[in-house]
Amino acid sequence: MIPAALGALTGPQLLASPTFWAVVVGAAGLWLLIPGRLPHGKVLGSALVAVAGGLFAFDLPLLGDWGRQGVFWLLAAVTLGGATATIASQSPLYSAIWFALSLLGTAGLFLFQGAQFLGVATIVVYAGAIVVTFLFVIMLAQPQGNAPYDRMSWGGLPKLMGVATAGALVGILMFMLQGLSDEARPPALSAAVAQPSVRGAGPDQPGGVLDDKHVANLGRVLFSQHLISVEVAGTLLLVALVGAVAIAIRGRPKLAGRTEEALR
Amino acid sequence: MSELSLLINCLAVGGGLVALGLLGFLVRRNMIVMFLCAEMMLQGISLSLVGWGRFHNDWGGQMLVIFIITVAACEAAIALALILMLAQRAGKLDSAAWQDLREQGQPAFVDREVPEERRHDPIWPHLTPAGIEPPVDPQTLLNRPRV
Repeated sequence: MIPAALGALTGPQLLASPTFWAVVVGAAGLWLLIPGRLPHGKVLGSALVAVAGGLFAFDLPLLGDWGRQGVFWLLAAVTLGGATATIASQSPLYSAIWFALSLLGTAGLFLFQGAQFLGVATIVVYAGAIVVTFLFVIMLAQPQGNAPYDRMSWGGLPKLMGVATAGALVGILMFMLQGLSDEARPPALSAAVAQPSVRGAGPDQPGGVLDDKHVANLGRVLFSQHLISVEVAGTLLLVALVGAVAIAIRGRPKLAGRTEEALR
Repeated sequence: MSELSLLINCLAVGGGLVALGLLGFLVRRNMIVMFLCAEMMLQGISLSLVGWGRFHNDWGGQMLVIFIITVAACEAAIALALILMLAQRAGKLDSAAWQDLREQGQPAFVDREVPEERRHDPIWPHLTPAGIEPPVDPQTLLNRPRV
C-alpha cells in the first residue's frame, strides 16, 4: 500500500517535491560538514543543512495550533541540530556535549507527546549518566586534543557513500510518510481508534496515554503486562555490570604481574 | 491538534536522527563517536515508538522505550569497558588501528594527507606556575608517584 505510493511517484513529481531537494541539499551540507580535507566547509555546510531543515518543515503537515507548532519546530531543530553537530565535531569531547543537547531535545519531544516519564528518564539516564560516563572515558583515553583520525574521516569516497546512504534512507522514509498522509487512515485502524470498545478508551480517558495519572498508569501496565520483562531487564543489568568489570580487569595484563609482585 | 500530523512530524524527526546516526557511524573513525552515533539511532527509534504509541493510544510503545533505555545503559557499560581496553592496548581511539582484523585479501587502509590542525581550533592555555613551591613531604611522593 505505502510502497505502491512510493512507486507511483514519477520523475517530474519527484523534482517538484521540496522533500527531494531537502534530501539533496542536506546531503551536500553534511558532506561539507563532516571532518575532512576541505578547509572552509563549516559555514556553507551549516547553511545548507539549515536550508534542508526548512524545506523538510515546509513539506510536513502543520499541527494546527501555531504555538504548538513553534514549540515543536524549536525542539526538532535542537534535536537534529545537536545530532548534526555531534557527527561534525572534530573533538570527541564536543561530540559528547552536542549529543547531550540532542538528548535534551529528544526529551522535550517526549514531553511534547505526553510521555512525561520517558522525558524525565531520558534526561536522568542518558544525559545524566551515560553522557557523563562517555566524558570520563574520553578524558581517560584521549587526554590530548584533536587526533589526526578525528580531523579526517575514512576518506573521500566512503564519506560520499555514507552521505548518499543516509540521504536515500531519509528520502525513502519521507516519501513513505507522504503516502501515509495522502490516503485516509486504514479502515481497521481508524475504527479501532474511533471505537472506545476496541481500544479500551480514548487517549484522554482513564487508562489512556494522555490521562492525568500518567506515571500511575505507566506503572500499572509495566508491572502487570510486562512483569517478566522487568525481571529479565534487571538480570541483564546485573550481567552487564559483571561483564564490564570482567572486561576491564582482563584487559590489563600489567596489573596481574603487579599483584604477583606484591604477593611475593 | 491532528494526531496524524503529529505522528508524521515525529516520525520525520525520528527518521532524521536514525539517518544522522547511521551517517556518523559510517564515516567517523573515533570509536567513542561511533558509539555515540549508535545511541543516536536508538533515540530516533524511541521517538517513533512513542509517536506510534500515542497514535494508537497504546502503552506498548512507551514500554518498549523503557526497555530500550535499559538495554542502552547495559550496552554503554560494556562498550565503554571494551573501548577503554582497546584504547589502552592501541594507544589511540582510532578504529583503523584494529584493521588487522579485516578479511584476508582486503587491502590495508592507509591514511593519506592528514589535514593540518586548523588555526581556529582551540589551543588550550598553559598555566604558568606562580608563587613559591611548597615543601614536599617525601612520604607523599612515595605514596602518590604521579603527583
